Amino acid sequence: MTQILIGPLAVAIISTVLAFLIAIIDKVLNNYGQVKISINGGKKVLEVKGGSPLLGTLAAEGIFVPSACGGRGSCGACKCKVTTDVGPHLPTELPYMSPAEIQKNIRLSCQIKVRKDLEIELPEEFFSVKKFQTKVESIKNLTYDIKEVLLALQDGQTVEFEAGQYVQLVVPPYGEITESVQRAYSMSSRPLDKTHIELLIRLVPGGIATTWVHKFLKEGDRVEVVGPFGEFHIHDTPATMVCVAGGSGMAPFKSMLYHMYETGAFQEKEIWYFFGARTTKDMFYLDELAELAARWPRFHFVPALSEPKPEENWKGDVGLITDVLDRYVQSTIDKSKGLEGYLCGSPGMINACINVMKKNGMTEDKIYFDKFA
Amino acid sequence: MKTKPEDRIAYEKMLPGVLTAQGFLGNDIRPLAEIIMEDEQEFIRLGLDFEEVADRLDALKQAGEKGLGEPITVGELLVQTGDARGMLPCPWGDGLYHKNAISIQPADKPQEACVEGEDMLIFSDLSIHLLRVHHFCQGLGSPFRLDPVFLKHLIY
Repeated sequence: MTQILIGPLAVAIISTVLAFLIAIIDKVLNNYGQVKISINGGKKVLEVKGGSPLLGTLAAEGIFVPSACGGRGSCGACKCKVTTDVGPHLPTELPYMSPAEIQKNIRLSCQIKVRKDLEIELPEEFFSVKKFQTKVESIKNLTYDIKEVLLALQDGQTVEFEAGQYVQLVVPPYGEITESVQRAYSMSSRPLDKTHIELLIRLVPGGIATTWVHKFLKEGDRVEVVGPFGEFHIHDTPATMVCVAGGSGMAPFKSMLYHMYETGAFQEKEIWYFFGARTTKDMFYLDELAELAARWPRFHFVPALSEPKPEENWKGDVGLITDVLDRYVQSTIDKSKGLEGYLCGSPGMINACINVMKKNGMTEDKIYFDKFA
Repeated sequence: MKTKPEDRIAYEKMLPGVLTAQGFLGNDIRPLAEIIMEDEQEFIRLGLDFEEVADRLDALKQAGEKGLGEPITVGELLVQTGDARGMLPCPWGDGLYHKNAISIQPADKPQEACVEGEDMLIFSDLSIHLLRVHHFCQGLGSPFRLDPVFLKHLIY
């Protein structure tokens, strides 16, 4: 009996001793003490506890670099320039880096550990990114799979943003999801309303954030939002805007259109807005935007269905949104003031629209979009 | 059944919170080798071939991409493709795949009435690879599980 017990007992004792030793070694070797992070040539200097990934270390200091995967190195969003030598790029970083980015020491901030004093460069706009505490004021079904979520900012907070920018919604653990994740969504609210953030969120089958919004989130719930981010905005030129979206890609355009209409900004611009859906069940804001077009002569709204059913009696344009866009750019839209493309949708939709626009003489440097994928 | 070292490493990566928040195993508590073996047996029973099913899913994805993010009718199915930012490595370490989700469902059933796992199948570029190369359909309860019986029912 004693002999039977000796083996497992010995293994247990050795394991405990080893675990203890590892814990002590970890404490000694991974104790980096206080470390300085100098940002943009010393414009901002942080004194932080070393040892953690740069992404989380910056977030703890109130500097939010966009990230959509929670620091797993699988979204490639959290890029920043690290001018201090922190060793070669890791295999986890390389898939997201172009040769030029590698040359410029661009790194994924979630993969770099803060082990010594660092010098880094970040876009200035990241300094104005904040974490907002909000309360869900309303949730409306726009279609069977798109919801309009209106968030009211709490504690007297206000948000400053440009129409077209996005925020990251912080999704708390729920159901079988045991950790918090963040996902990016364009704001559909007007920049003049500084106390609300409105988002249009389409249910993605199997999607963690969209499932939470569609099946768990309720009016009155508290939600954290980080932002604003992004460079998608209206360019101050007289060129005609050619905007294309589908589904929840409507969000930045709703913000841009109502901002322009209500403030009278960018007065020289003519605006064409092409919105694609499959059937009338997938279409939303139709009456609202048609009314806006009726009241606002320089705005032209072109909704199109790709697969309308006969019983829907659809009177509008029919076809893939790229085909409809092609027809209008060729024959209807006045090109005398030049054209600018504004796109929001899937990478496939964006690439297809870019091809149509380039085929019609628009140049790529005048085609703007925020690719979320 | 003895677990191969590469399967043990892959299994660790399949747990929730490692490569993805949800992981690849759902609520399946069977060892990885057993999940794969039982699905292989089910494929044989149903007369399915991993390579051919993977090709078919790939073809559906390509046809679905023509919808530019909106649902599109492909034969008797409705296919919708969606993309997310970034890439996912295969848990076995033999490839890196764009993060996406393709959903397929019967075209004649209203979308709002379709339930994930009952009428609707979800897969990704990584799911196709896992099926083709590793014969791994994912664990029971995983949102991206390619259940052999449901696969046959939906795409054949």
